[in-house]
Amino acid sequence: MTQASSSTSSSTPLQTVLDEFRNISPEITKAFVFKKDGESLAFNEDSMAKDRAKRLAEAFDELENNSEVIGGVENLTIQGVSSQIDITTTNSRYMATVSSRLADEKRVRALTFVIVPTIIKLMDQIEPSIPENQPPDASNSETKMEEEIIQQPEEPKQTEPLSNPTPMPSEQNLPKPPVNQFMVEKIAGLLVAPDMVRVDADVVAKWVDIYGDREISQVNVETLEGRSVICKFRTVREADSKAKGIIQIPERILQTLRASEGKLVIVKPVIPAAREGKR
Amino acid sequence: MSMKRSPNQTETSLTNVAVITTSNAENPTFASLGASLVEIQKMKGVLGYIMRGTVSAVLDLAEGDKITQYAFLSYQLHESCLEIAKQLNISEIESALVEGKSLKVLFVKVGENKISVFMEKSSDHLGILKRLLI
Repeated sequence: MTQASSSTSSSTPLQTVLDEFRNISPEITKAFVFKKDGESLAFNEDSMAKDRAKRLAEAFDELENNSEVIGGVENLTIQGVSSQIDITTTNSRYMATVSSRLADEKRVRALTFVIVPTIIKLMDQIEPSIPENQPPDASNSETKMEEEIIQQPEEPKQTEPLSNPTPMPSEQNLPKPPVNQFMVEKIAGLLVAPDMVRVDADVVAKWVDIYGDREISQVNVETLEGRSVICKFRTVREADSKAKGIIQIPERILQTLRASEGKLVIVKPVIPAAREGKR
Repeated sequence: MSMKRSPNQTETSLTNVAVITTSNAENPTFASLGASLVEIQKMKGVLGYIMRGTVSAVLDLAEGDKITQYAFLSYQLHESCLEIAKQLNISEIESALVEGKSLKVLFVKVGENKISVFMEKSSDHLGILKRLLI
């Protein structure tokens, strides 16, 4: 299987998925993900020449521009004599598959119109937030909740001289916060803190392994739709820890996230700054 | 309601159904497809259609005030499909389905006749396709 020559870090998961297309549906002969300018992000078999991909995107956009009467274009399927083309666009990236007419249409449509767009959206939500390793203000002991659908631009950091002569690892040297995906379980009751989520103890143990003496007291919980909340957390009670891959979230936080039980969320630890972690 | 007049004359109607023709030359396929489309128009969720032949066109749309938008979309759908198929080395287009957020459009090419059927998203476009290709 050919790898994307212009592969970027963001294209790797897409490339993996496209490579799997052949296994899932061998009738898919070609699959491409490309940008508006024609740059290939991922493909199986052979890449499409940049100018051809660009013209394809332009043709799709022309259709999109004339489609107000049907509410814009979500998906386009073109059937030839023996082949079928499926095209969709998500966040300025285009996905096209060419398959045999003998292929299971539902499967091809699911791969093209559901799986890949979902992965693109998920990548877009995860990737911009990874470098944003901004510690919260540790002096504020109250739970901080904030919706951050649009990431705030980072301000240049002020480097303050440390009184401790021992060199501390800078924020840039810290490993990126691990990203975990959990399914939401709603919790309620008198003993449930309304501003605290409960996370799998094994996951928390891994965070401790990674960040050592840095006290992690908050997590960033983000929905697939991009709504996020920073809140306190504790580990799931022993008795409740049967279900792995679950995050227990009280009603108040669910409302802030506009999420419900059974939804998937992405959870990252909020890493405090070095000197604050020592307090 | 449709209208036809003398040869080499373009006519439109202000009613929902309009026939535009520049020739009286008989086109049995066009006529047959027109009859099928009249039946398809009665199907649940179908909002209307536009058919363009080599010298004639017929359209029947429920939302008369949006005829221009539907016509542009119909034309662009054909043009975009041709371009996309060309870039992906597909020699001939039989049909296309474009799904919007509120409606969908089935495009079918039968000989030189290009048909766009506009319908709600829940409509059975495969059933319509079969009827047109029989």
